[in-house]
Amino acid sequence: MSTERIPSSDRALWQSLATDRPVAPEAVSDMDFAAWLEGRLPEATAARIEAAVANDPAMRQAALELAEILGTTLPVPPARMTVRAQALVGFEAERQSPRQSPRQTWLAGLFPAFGRGFALHRGAMAGMAVVIAVAGFVLGGGLGETYVEGKYASTRSQTVPKPFGRDTINDLNDLFTDNT
Amino acid sequence: MTELGQIDLRSLAAGHKRTWDTFVVAASPLINAVVRRALSSYRLSEDDVMDAAQDVFVRLCANDFRLLKTYDPARAGLSTWLAVVSRSAAVDFARRRRQATAPIDDVPESVLAVEDRHVEKLKIPEGLLTERQTLILKCLYDEERDVAEVAQLLKIDAQTVRSTHHKALLRLREHFKEEAP
Repeated sequence: MSTERIPSSDRALWQSLATDRPVAPEAVSDMDFAAWLEGRLPEATAARIEAAVANDPAMRQAALELAEILGTTLPVPPARMTVRAQALVGFEAERQSPRQSPRQTWLAGLFPAFGRGFALHRGAMAGMAVVIAVAGFVLGGGLGETYVEGKYASTRSQTVPKPFGRDTINDLNDLFTDNT
Repeated sequence: MTELGQIDLRSLAAGHKRTWDTFVVAASPLINAVVRRALSSYRLSEDDVMDAAQDVFVRLCANDFRLLKTYDPARAGLSTWLAVVSRSAAVDFARRRRQATAPIDDVPESVLAVEDRHVEKLKIPEGLLTERQTLILKCLYDEERDVAEVAQLLKIDAQTVRSTHHKALLRLREHFKEEAP
């Protein structure tokens, strides 16, 4: 090779060199990469990451972008982004609901509403409905009994023969008198 | 507003709603900036950017906050780790969309240049340059970044970048001059 092949400018020199190594880029974890970006790694470990970054254009791009962003004042994000993200995690009251007993689990299987909170409220409503139904049944039964009793009494008054009274004795006297 | 460094990580990983809400408010500006920057070379709509950002938050809280629990405060700041995770999620999102395009003005000339196959490039011997020297030269020439940006990346001052660059080129020139007949 001749010295004429060595370009005078630094850039041209670098571009005339085969700088990419024919090795697969080493996998770097997010945690290691973050630690390297902050300059927290010991020299030996940092050199390993620097080799990986130097050898992988995508990692180099990522490193330069992140270093730039982390060193600047950030713009305010759209409110929609925050609201959507906040909705990903539910409310504490729902998350901290007490563990269900086997009976509750069975009920939850039978009636899904039992497994979704408001069980006490729904239970109270169901209890009230039962009380109302029983009261209605009792009242309805009472009226029915009175009706049956009344009907039975009227039927009995029509079929039971009159006890012997003064009229009957008079009739018998008249019969015997006529025969004599 | 609560800073990211003030977030109670134990409470966050336990899934407490209030801590999550505070975390989202503190983390949104960073995630928004990282995702937008990572997706800038893809022709994606505002809705896609929103979805990519949401994807980051979903990753953080998925499987009982499994990803968030891998964060180690002793090794790096939460902001830096979150930025790394966000960028990687955003790139995955863009790849899924498969609409990778870059405005021609944003692509460095070295990438666009058609390589002259007839010129055999000189190989740099193993160990001639340190990893840091190689990285600095690649950032300056391949990525076309200026000295200040490289200094910011490596957390060193600009003068150190210049001197490292200078020493690296001296080594290269000396090596190839000696190799020349």
